[in-house]
Amino acid sequence: MKQIVFSGVNKYYGAFHALKDIDLAIDKGSFVALVGPSGCGKSTLLRSLAGLEKITGGDISIAGEVVTALPPRRRDVAMVFQSYALYPHMTVEENLTYSLKVHGVSKAERKRAAGEVAATTGLSGLLHRYPRELSGGQRQRVAMSRAIIRNPKAFLFDEPLSNLDAALRVHMRKEIRALHDRLGATSVYVTHDQIEAMTMADHVVVMRAGVIEQQGRPLDLYDKPANKFVAGFIGSPAMNFIPATVEEGGRVTVDLGAGPVELAVAVAAPVGARVLIGIRPEHLTLTAPGDGRLVAAVAFTESTGFTTFVSTATTPELMVVETGRRAVASGDRVGLAFDDASVHVFDAETEQRL
Amino acid sequence: MRRLYSSLVDGRGFDLCLIGVPLAFLIVLSGLPLVYNVVMSFQAVDMFSLGSFIRPWVGFQNYRELVAQPEFWPIMGHTATFLAASIAGQFLLGFALALFFWLDFPGASWLRGLFLVSWVMPGLVVGAVWNWLLSGDFGVFNFVLRELHVISGNVFWRSDPTFALWSVIIANIWLGTSFNMILLSVGLSSIPADLYEAAELDGAGALTRFWTITLPMMRSTIGALISLGLIFTLQQFDLFAAITSGGPNNASNVAQYWAWDLSFKQYDFAKGAAISVIMIAVVMLASVYYVRSTRHEVRG
Repeated sequence: MKQIVFSGVNKYYGAFHALKDIDLAIDKGSFVALVGPSGCGKSTLLRSLAGLEKITGGDISIAGEVVTALPPRRRDVAMVFQSYALYPHMTVEENLTYSLKVHGVSKAERKRAAGEVAATTGLSGLLHRYPRELSGGQRQRVAMSRAIIRNPKAFLFDEPLSNLDAALRVHMRKEIRALHDRLGATSVYVTHDQIEAMTMADHVVVMRAGVIEQQGRPLDLYDKPANKFVAGFIGSPAMNFIPATVEEGGRVTVDLGAGPVELAVAVAAPVGARVLIGIRPEHLTLTAPGDGRLVAAVAFTESTGFTTFVSTATTPELMVVETGRRAVASGDRVGLAFDDASVHVFDAETEQRL
Repeated sequence: MRRLYSSLVDGRGFDLCLIGVPLAFLIVLSGLPLVYNVVMSFQAVDMFSLGSFIRPWVGFQNYRELVAQPEFWPIMGHTATFLAASIAGQFLLGFALALFFWLDFPGASWLRGLFLVSWVMPGLVVGAVWNWLLSGDFGVFNFVLRELHVISGNVFWRSDPTFALWSVIIANIWLGTSFNMILLSVGLSSIPADLYEAAELDGAGALTRFWTITLPMMRSTIGALISLGLIFTLQQFDLFAAITSGGPNNASNVAQYWAWDLSFKQYDFAKGAAISVIMIAVVMLASVYYVRSTRHEVRG
């Protein structure tokens, strides 16, 4: 069953077209990530769902009910803000039970509900503290508990982890996902971090300039990016792109300056069409100069201990990710091997997958 | 010697110098007159002993005589009415205007700036303008009230004992509203917008948001404003001088005007000083509250 449906949603800020004909259906109980660079409209889409932004055209429905004209408080969705938006003049308990109080729930009942939620999110000892007395991670938990206590139709997250340090972010990622599974909730999660989107979501929606570029399961997006933008955005470090031209019989050759190399891919494009060959850094392996398919000089290497990033001194520059430590230094000549099955081909004009 | 020099150039000595200059200024121009005033309120002062600092010590004699005067309690009552009505009027109107301009319609900031004009004007000028507005026979104020059918005959605002104090209060509210509005506007704009969004999603309507978010978040601003208002209102002298001169028959006389009247019209400096000391005590309490409010700012 579809819990949230956007149909033909448009949003203008004056002349600026922020959301362009958004169609998106979200299954009940699924975890959906909206991801894209800043200014792509992902937050606007989320805020439109919450009712904090009025959409210019189209319809939004939640649990079968069209909510387009309803104010935020009648939509029964809970939101976790990037800034957490905790009420600074209220204790943790008052923060958690604010919505219950507004809805006229009795004091005893509120206290019980707060205690129950606090126990599951590890806030039991902090109920009488003020937000200013909490650490970043604790504030984050309060913000989530405030959403949980309401048992809403959907949880909306607006970049909730971006104010935390890296270690805590990885931890909270798992915690949010575990919480989602336990509650059986429907969650919409906005992030600019594709790793968060890939690791947490069942369904990833990649946006750019107010348009959904591609949506699907995380690994489908990784394996079959619909266009150059998605290919470059999903995966880290980003995919390498090499310009090439289609030859007789749909053959494609690439040339990094050491002679043309033919790829075993058949491209359904006219002869002479310009294309982009995409190969992920993790699909390139270093070999001895004669053994690989391509030959390149090493520009520089960066090692994190477990992985080594090697950049080549070619045009365009290629990035290679190797696990383990490699004894290559800048200036060394190396061979690059890859499997033709891992090669992506995009039209250079339309940037669509071929 | 060398250490003293380096301390003066960059160190503790430099800090002390920075504090010392304004402190000396305050002591000479505010502290000493204040102490002089307090001392004088316990002495017998007449025209002949005005020039000397050593005068007969009379203890609380001046205060006792002051309280025994028949006009003392009425004047204290007027002062309390003036304070309460002025502060309430300025605050409520100021808050209403601040909320209005917070809606951020086109031109809101311009209009808000124009409102400050009233606060920039000298009290005596404001008094003169309100003299015309409140004038009994040709005043605009009466005209408006008559056209609105609030009154049937002319009200002689400044000479009718029932209304004299209120005529000054009305002028004072007009004078102080914009200052209240500006400070409250600043307080309103410092409340993060996402708190309202969170409250809205939590199910709170506009009124609930006002009572549970706006007012509590404005607590320190409001506390500071009320205590500042108390201090400014107790200082309000010009309007009395310009509009009613405390009359008729003390009907609009207040402590600050009475102190001036006693000291500089009746040359009873000791009693004038005694009233000032009473007012200093009130202002001190307000100042303590003001400092505490600004220290208790709640910010996420």
